[in-house]
Amino acid sequence: MPFATIADSNPIKLCVVIVGLPARGKSFISQKIVRYLSWLSIPTKSFNCSTNLEQILKESGTNADDLFRSNYASDGEILNKTRDITLEQILDWFGNVAACGVAIYDGINATKVERDRLNKTLQNHGINTVFLEAYCDDESIIETNITDIDSTSPEYSKFESLQDTINSVSNKIQFYSKAYQTLTTEDEGDLSFIKLINFSSQIILNHIDSYLKSRIVYYIMNLHVKNRYIWLSRHGESQYNLEGKIGGDASLSERGVKYSYKLVELVNKYIPNHDKLEVWTSTLKRTQQTAKFLPYPQKQWKALDELDAGSCDGLTYEEIAEKYPDDFKARDDNKFEYRYPGGESYRDVITRLEPIIMALENQENVLVITHQAVLRCIYAYFMNVHQEESPWMSIPLHTLIRLEIKAYGTQVTRIKADIPAVSTYKERGTSKLGESSNGTNIMSGSVISGITDKVVI
Amino acid sequence: MSTENDVAQIEEARIPGNYSARKIQRWNPSSIYATNIIHNNVKSNVKSNDAIHKNLPVNHVSPAQMYSTDSGRMFHAGSICIIMVGLPGRGKTNLSISLCRYLRWLGVRTELFHLGDYRRKNTDLNKETDLNFDKLNSNSYFSLQPENSNIKNLKSKIKSELIDDIISFFETSNGQIAIYDAINGLSSERKKLLDFFKSKNIKCLFIESIIDDVELLNENIRDAVNSPDYKSWDSEAALENFTNRIKANEAYYEHLDSKRANLPFIQSYNFGEKILINDLKHDFLTTKIIYYLLNAKIKCHSIYFARCSLNKLKFKDDPPITENGKVYINKIYNTLASSFTDKKIPKGLVVWTSTRLRTIQSSQIFKNAGCTVRHRPELTQLNPGAAEGLTDQELDEKFHESYVKHLSDPYHHRYPRAESYHDLALKIEPLILEMEKLSHDVLIIADETIIRIFYGYLMASNANDIPLIEFPQNEIIKITYHTYNNEIENLVVDGIAKE
Repeated sequence: MPFATIADSNPIKLCVVIVGLPARGKSFISQKIVRYLSWLSIPTKSFNCSTNLEQILKESGTNADDLFRSNYASDGEILNKTRDITLEQILDWFGNVAACGVAIYDGINATKVERDRLNKTLQNHGINTVFLEAYCDDESIIETNITDIDSTSPEYSKFESLQDTINSVSNKIQFYSKAYQTLTTEDEGDLSFIKLINFSSQIILNHIDSYLKSRIVYYIMNLHVKNRYIWLSRHGESQYNLEGKIGGDASLSERGVKYSYKLVELVNKYIPNHDKLEVWTSTLKRTQQTAKFLPYPQKQWKALDELDAGSCDGLTYEEIAEKYPDDFKARDDNKFEYRYPGGESYRDVITRLEPIIMALENQENVLVITHQAVLRCIYAYFMNVHQEESPWMSIPLHTLIRLEIKAYGTQVTRIKADIPAVSTYKERGTSKLGESSNGTNIMSGSVISGITDKVVI
Repeated sequence: MSTENDVAQIEEARIPGNYSARKIQRWNPSSIYATNIIHNNVKSNVKSNDAIHKNLPVNHVSPAQMYSTDSGRMFHAGSICIIMVGLPGRGKTNLSISLCRYLRWLGVRTELFHLGDYRRKNTDLNKETDLNFDKLNSNSYFSLQPENSNIKNLKSKIKSELIDDIISFFETSNGQIAIYDAINGLSSERKKLLDFFKSKNIKCLFIESIIDDVELLNENIRDAVNSPDYKSWDSEAALENFTNRIKANEAYYEHLDSKRANLPFIQSYNFGEKILINDLKHDFLTTKIIYYLLNAKIKCHSIYFARCSLNKLKFKDDPPITENGKVYINKIYNTLASSFTDKKIPKGLVVWTSTRLRTIQSSQIFKNAGCTVRHRPELTQLNPGAAEGLTDQELDEKFHESYVKHLSDPYHHRYPRAESYHDLALKIEPLILEMEKLSHDVLIIADETIIRIFYGYLMASNANDIPLIEFPQNEIIKITYHTYNNEIENLVVDGIAKE
């Protein structure tokens, strides 16, 4: 399905061109945009210039240090080749892979001439552009960025010490900064661009002329660089879970109630600063009963309600397979797009969850107690899970999930409450419930048992 | 839960989430709005204006308000004074009104303070008394720095009256955002305002509107001459006078500049073409405001609403369009077409429907006419849940407690498994922004429940009135954006029963 927002009526072909010296948080922003847009089912891919540069250096047998010690020449052979290859990759992607979508050109794009050329070529290919500059003259931010790159960026994992990384990055910064021209509305007023100054203490927005671009701006403004935790849990086991029925608005089972007591303990033990915790639930009984004993401010969101199964609400999978065999099969074939008669699809759930994601990006110390399908969608956002897989992920009951959100990725830890519960997981092609035989669909991350504190990987 | 140094008073929701919305005493319907709206709907082909310029009653409830506290403020943020900055004819009033509409809709208690209104209240411009409106010179009231001391005193008296009202809005009416709409062109003046509000624990956000596109400026100046100041003027003379008024200010006017004074500000060129953001905390409200400014166009076109056919269906049913439905949509099409001067549906018209089969099929006729047609799941009607198809008496019997709650708060209450209007409003918010961004007329073909939500936004309705608004099957609602307010018109579709 070609993606189009209502306001941008033609199928979108957009290239976000990143501009900025090394250690300005460019890759952080690129990967965040990829995460957000692909979660919204907009085909999005980031094309990294420095990966290409590394490859070219290797092929030509040039030493990176030699290049960065030389004087920057905009038309230097190696840099030119890098740019050509990256551009080619993008054009090829739009030509052969994604008929519409968003490509991210993650590079330095240091000079006006380079940007102008890039802009023209992309426009000539019918690709709309927006430049995104991460500008920074605050040394302390740059230092933090370098430390962060050292510990998290795969590009620098080959260096043994922090000092090596600092040296390497500083060399690069020196090399590019001689030629670097920052974006200004005076010099490049015709370009559509976003300029973030010192990680958004000042922002300049120029010609943000489409709805999608404004969405990207809004998203970037909601971003935090700070490492933080988000806590997730499914509701405790419900009566319907015991009976194998889907949907409904059932109360908790006896074991479910136990979990709601246990959850208070888990929160006390594992959530630092839990005195400032906020709890979000859906409007359905089973999540509210699960949150019942948590002494924190609570908010109920309709958007956190379980996927609406329409006419199949209250049935078991066996009954659905029997009553609506075509639907049952159609859903197994494309679980992400399949919409229950009179109900919702996973795509619909993602549409309504968007405000929740924005709010979660802007916040820390939140415990979200919600439902299997909704958790799959939230989890898919933070863990970058592809939409074909995410509806098939198993998210166990009676488990507190910790997402540790860092600049370059998210780490997940599962804290098990050790209260038995039925499995509500259904594999493709069967109507029987139960965990997958090979365990491949279980969410990743380490596991902590609530009793022993022992970490099981 | 408040710390000494924190500017923002943090207040906990007394009862979490939407439950506080169900506290009966806080959500009494405001009878004034209710009668207004129902009255407007009874008559057809009557034009009327929206409620954006009415002061908020204490019990005002906003359509997309996420939660409420006893004070009526949101606990994300404290009090904010938005101070508009800009020369005359830069669309400040226009921007402040549309921003107010959006913020109120979000549930932020927002009020407009136009300096022009205070001036008109205090002076009579068309009499040659204390103000010489015709002769603009350095002594004039309309200079940023008048030399005449009487004029100076009058100016500051009028301003302090406005500032007093802002303070009392914050202190006694539970206000959260005040929008101060005036030129505020001097850097020293702005610094003074910042310091003053700071001393009252009120945050300031300056929004400057700059127009450097000559054509846009001229267009805007022509529009500004429609202001109440020039009610009885000849349009040529008014234009000349207004141009002189701008000149009188230009000599002294200072732009916001982070190098000169580091104020928290948003500077918007040519209505969002270029935006500079300086020294702002990116909290919930400021990001919403910026996002809105990026999308808000100065609009002069119309949004049309037509009901879809067959709305006696069950929520879960999704049948194809019937013969009757086809006849119905043809009539809608013809009525709409004949309302345009050339009796044709313009190709630029954008049509939105839900993803239900019958509405998709209904829109085909517009697609054939070359219009852009989009289908979105958010436009599906309100899910009535367990209340579906039940009469009031049956509801009372089956869900007695719920039924009583519903009567007291039909906007926020939801029956088991149902959606409330409030839920719909939150779901539709992204579409509202898309609608603001569009520079075309839009036709929304949807169920009555969805039309109510859009209507509530465009006409600045109180949430409690929204479930009561009726949209007869035989009418197309046309809401047109104007500088000062939105205007509604009902186009009657011939040959269709009212219900």
